[in-house]
Amino acid sequence: MKEIIKLFVRYHFTIFFVVLEIVAFSLVVLHNNYQRTVFSDLAAVLSDAFSFTVSTTKDYFLLKETNEEMVAENTKLRNQIEAYKTLCQNARIYPAEHSVSGNFTYIPARMINLSFNKTKNYITINQGEEDGISTEMAVCSKEGVVGIIEKTSNHYAKILPLINVNLRVSAKVAKNGYYGSLQWDGNDYRYTYLNDIPFHVDVEIGDTIVTSGFSTIFPEDELIGFVESINKQTANFLSIKVRLATDFKKISNVYVIANTRKQEQQELESDYD
Amino acid sequence: MTNAKFFIHLFVLLLIQLILLDNIQIHSYVCINLYILSIYILPYRWSNVAILFFGFCLGMFVDLINHTMGVHTIATTLIAFMRPQMLLLTSNREQISDIQGRQKISEFAWFFKYIVINTLIFNSVFILCETFSFRNFPITLLRIVCSTLASILFILLYYLIALKEKKN
Repeated sequence: MKEIIKLFVRYHFTIFFVVLEIVAFSLVVLHNNYQRTVFSDLAAVLSDAFSFTVSTTKDYFLLKETNEEMVAENTKLRNQIEAYKTLCQNARIYPAEHSVSGNFTYIPARMINLSFNKTKNYITINQGEEDGISTEMAVCSKEGVVGIIEKTSNHYAKILPLINVNLRVSAKVAKNGYYGSLQWDGNDYRYTYLNDIPFHVDVEIGDTIVTSGFSTIFPEDELIGFVESINKQTANFLSIKVRLATDFKKISNVYVIANTRKQEQQELESDYD
Repeated sequence: MTNAKFFIHLFVLLLIQLILLDNIQIHSYVCINLYILSIYILPYRWSNVAILFFGFCLGMFVDLINHTMGVHTIATTLIAFMRPQMLLLTSNREQISDIQGRQKISEFAWFFKYIVINTLIFNSVFILCETFSFRNFPITLLRIVCSTLASILFILLYYLIALKEKKN
């Protein structure tokens, strides 16, 4: 204490000066609007920088803890995924918007192989007969129609996609219901052609093309694509270039759609013969 | 300088500063501060702490009248703090003993050196406090130089008219 007083007495002039300057500076900052604004801005910048440094430093020391928390959360999420996977495998998923009709069953599947640069392209999915898939079932992605199951094995199925020249699908113009036959020309995987639409039909660029529902394969009104351009094919029919809603280079998850009453319909129709 | 003479000078200087110079708008770059001369010519007998306190009060008084709270105070307090060191710095060892004598202030060369350094420091601090930013620093620098020159000019004028004792 004595030392402190000694020190104070020795440097009293400087201490007095510093105190007076602090008083003067606080007067400047407190009583002048301009200086106050500048000072508070500067103080804000400094305190922001300081708290940023503090928090980043703190974050660094908390990394281990954070890592452990992340691992724990990851494990939990993975377990949940596994649980849902099991659920998915055991039970078929019935999306709400399709369950009303009850005619169609949806089976989720994942694409494991595909081609899009040939005229006869194929897609392979990881669900097969054991998962309830059989030939001539429709395949859709969340964007739109993908194709039709052509062949199945126990655990895999081969899809004849819209971008295969061998596939013909019955499609219609959504706004007026005129239907025609959709077939790919083997050129660009993004476009296909809708033929056999009478030339008097009012079709405009951008119109929606959907499935017609006249086959036992596709449900009605599944999205196929949009009108890109219109050509007069022959004297009586239009050839409509359709931009596919499904991007075959992007899709990975698809639904296989099973028509539960297909058998019934076919049996009934066979009586016409 | 005796106390009585000093207070007369102080009174005259403040009168000139507050009534005349503070109301003359020459240019926004030029601030004339004549009143700091009163710190330079303080009686030598005053103690350092008294000088410091006087500097603080003087600056505060000018600030109160000019509504520039604290800006003058910072600069005058600094000048008052540096005054003892400045006296030693501008004089050589032989002259130190003479500082106590009253003939010292009549020595123009010494007085000129002394006020140039002090006024430069004062105006630097004063204008930096007023600008309160290092943006457009060249302009601030120009203001410091202009104000210093103008202040020195007026201080010299006052010195030559009222302070310099004629040799006979």
